[in-house]
Amino acid sequence: MKKILFIIIAVAFTFSGCEKDDICDANTPTTPRLVISFFDISNPSVPKNVRNLKVIGEGMTEGIVFNENAIDELKYITNGNTISIPLKTDATSTTYKFILNYNDPNTALINEDRLRFNYTHQNIFVSRACGFKTTFNLTPLAPFVLTDSDNQEGFWMQFIEVEDTNIELENETHVKIYF
Amino acid sequence: MSKYIFSFCFMLSLFLVQAQETQATKKATITNKTETEPAKAPKKATTAEVKKDSIPVKTDRYGVRFGVDLYKLTRGFYDKDYKGIEIVGDYRLSKKYYLAAEIGTEDKTTDDDRLNSTAKGSYIKAGFDYNLYQNWLDMENIISVGMRYGFSTFSQQLNTYKIYNANPYWGEVPPVVSGEKFSGLSASWLEVNAAVKAKVFNNIFIGFGVQLKTLISNKKPDNFDNLYIPGFNRTYNGNFGIGFNYTVSYFIPIYKKKVIIPVEIKK
Repeated sequence: MKKILFIIIAVAFTFSGCEKDDICDANTPTTPRLVISFFDISNPSVPKNVRNLKVIGEGMTEGIVFNENAIDELKYITNGNTISIPLKTDATSTTYKFILNYNDPNTALINEDRLRFNYTHQNIFVSRACGFKTTFNLTPLAPFVLTDSDNQEGFWMQFIEVEDTNIELENETHVKIYF
Repeated sequence: MSKYIFSFCFMLSLFLVQAQETQATKKATITNKTETEPAKAPKKATTAEVKKDSIPVKTDRYGVRFGVDLYKLTRGFYDKDYKGIEIVGDYRLSKKYYLAAEIGTEDKTTDDDRLNSTAKGSYIKAGFDYNLYQNWLDMENIISVGMRYGFSTFSQQLNTYKIYNANPYWGEVPPVVSGEKFSGLSASWLEVNAAVKAKVFNNIFIGFGVQLKTLISNKKPDNFDNLYIPGFNRTYNGNFGIGFNYTVSYFIPIYKKKVIIPVEIKK
């Protein structure tokens, strides 16, 4: 008689592993950004840092924040060799302005190129707390379209290469830009 | 809202336990008055003579008990996102063991921060209860522990969902209206259950029970999850689940059995 009680208690103790699942964990892979890496055109295997690059979405007034801790305009400026930019989850293309040497006193150095990314997207279930995420596939035929700014100062991007058309994670480079 | 209902039912269940205890002590004092010695001791000594005694032989009633889960039944009145019913039943196998089963159907809309989905389906649970409570005289109260195997077939409809975007540069996208339906889903689980059933009058019992559950199988839809399983309730990250019920049931006696007081074997 006591045995059955013991068994039931033993089974009850196996009901463990309660995890809090109301908050979406920041480490969970959710909607990825497009990862762009910059390389040296004269030495294509060597990453090259951009100089004061500002990236603004078409139709937006503020640029993408690259440095959360910086103040004012410096937040939107990067001097690294890799950037991550969010794509629209409810459209099939996203256009960005890439402004090199932003706010340079020597206005001749400032160069703006526009890049439109064409893609398809699908919504993937993640979890109760995170909901869904959107992943993207760059269109194989015309993954991007490069155009110059209204000033017609020429292109600073010399060669663009799609490394991975499937944009699912942020830990890899999807597009390489040589300059 | 459900939090208050839960605590209310829990409070009621406490009264049930309380009621039993006072009854028990009353009867205990009566027996102590009629017999100067503790009740159990003389009975054991005179086992052989019990049949000849003029005092009527103590009998246990055996039969089936049918009832309904009041919590599920009444929840539909105040919660527009819920409709459900659960029929409970048990059959007394022996002095302490009861075969027990629950059958029910649920239609529940779960509204999470990022997801809104509706689960619809039926379930059956079967197993046993073991009565831990030592009844005095003709009392028939039950404080039981038991186990169940549960099985549910259901469908899920994803109503709306939100896209999680840690970098909402392009602004928050409004919830996506889906309406996609996933049918032919099923799940099975094992549960451990603790319950109290008290005879309130004649053959009417009021009961309260809590269940801890663990999923054995769970057929999930493609690109979605079973957020609510009828009978199992809300799912968590692991296999864990909880449940409770508040029942009113009617006992139908079928036959009576004499209580045989076991003769102690000398060691």
